[in-house]
Amino acid sequence: MNILENGDQVMDIAKMGAGIGAGLAAIGAGIGIGRIGGSAAEGTARQPEAADAIKGTSIILSALIEGVCLFGVVVTLLIALGIGK
Amino acid sequence: MSFLRPLLILACVALPVWVTGRFAPQHEGENPFATLYMHLMPAALEKHPAHGAGAGHDAAGGEPGAGAHVEDGEPPEYLLSLGLPGFLALFDMDVARAGAQLLLTNLQLFQLAAMLLIFVCFSGVPRYLRTGRGDFTSRLFAGFALWIRDEMVLPVMGPELGRRFLPMFLGIFFFVLFMNMLGLVPGAATATASLFVTGALAGITLLAMLICGMVAQGPLRFWLNLVPHVPWLMWPLMFVVEVLGLMIKPFALMIRLFANMSGGHLVVLSLMGMIYVLGGMGQVVGWASAPVSVAFAVFIMIIEFFVAMLQAYIFTMLSILFVQTSIHPQH
Repeated sequence: MNILENGDQVMDIAKMGAGIGAGLAAIGAGIGIGRIGGSAAEGTARQPEAADAIKGTSIILSALIEGVCLFGVVVTLLIALGIGK
Repeated sequence: MSFLRPLLILACVALPVWVTGRFAPQHEGENPFATLYMHLMPAALEKHPAHGAGAGHDAAGGEPGAGAHVEDGEPPEYLLSLGLPGFLALFDMDVARAGAQLLLTNLQLFQLAAMLLIFVCFSGVPRYLRTGRGDFTSRLFAGFALWIRDEMVLPVMGPELGRRFLPMFLGIFFFVLFMNMLGLVPGAATATASLFVTGALAGITLLAMLICGMVAQGPLRFWLNLVPHVPWLMWPLMFVVEVLGLMIKPFALMIRLFANMSGGHLVVLSLMGMIYVLGGMGQVVGWASAPVSVAFAVFIMIIEFFVAMLQAYIFTMLSILFVQTSIHPQH
């Protein structure tokens, strides 16, 4: 496929990069939040009195990690919609 | 008499929805997804919006449309537009006409509705806190405000400082919460699903960080205290890193709130669009996919309720932490 001749086709396929990027960002968020969930469950099992404190901290940390994932999603949206063309 | 407040709350929610439905133009896109995604964009309110129903009536009536006389190629007449000075021409919203204009969009209506909701819900709270008598709404929001004071602001900022900053964080929390919740009403627009609105809120946090930090520590001390104790050779690099970190934290606040709010709506709109796309492939496929799509969309909307409240909490909690770190840096 010649890039110079079929520019539009190549641009359409290049948007696949946006899809791959969004998926990778979701993987990162899933790993991070999964680890937090695992540690939270373990900590609560060891010390049930600390359940409330662990719950509050884990929710805040999950939202922070999800914020980072959404950075990536916003970048892929920009690519997919061709805003930065 | 005790129904006045719930009635006012209902009016604050229903009025912007009705005005949006009456004055916002019909969305037109080249495929179902494009039309649905236009619901995420702010819609400029027009005096005579071109509805699909209006065009239908004109065709049936046989006369030139009185409701939809916006011809192709001519820019529509907007409900309210404000002229911008030349140096702000970057923010021109009405590109079809000469001169930079700011337009009234449906997002402004929902922000005003969130502000009015704050007034309506909290007007009985001081009396309840003083005398212990108040109706259900006052008791509910008094409990909410006390929870924010005792679990979010005072543990981080301490009694005297926390008491001075409490109004600002209460305002930020309930403003963001009401805007997020209003976006879940059918026919309503989420004001926080716009980068500019969340950017303004994050800008408030940034201004609070800078101004309160410089007032509390002295203008020069504030910038010098950003950098922890490092060997003097590394100091310029660490200074750049710390200043970048200072700017990136509110930026992250903005992106986090915007992406969470618009992402949820994007997923629901995509699921609805799937029905149309599958329906285009065949009637049976379309009808069979509809219950699945709707069920999944309902599930996502339930999560959206939780995300709306969580994101308001996260935004306020992080603002509190940032302002506290500005005033009392821990090194």
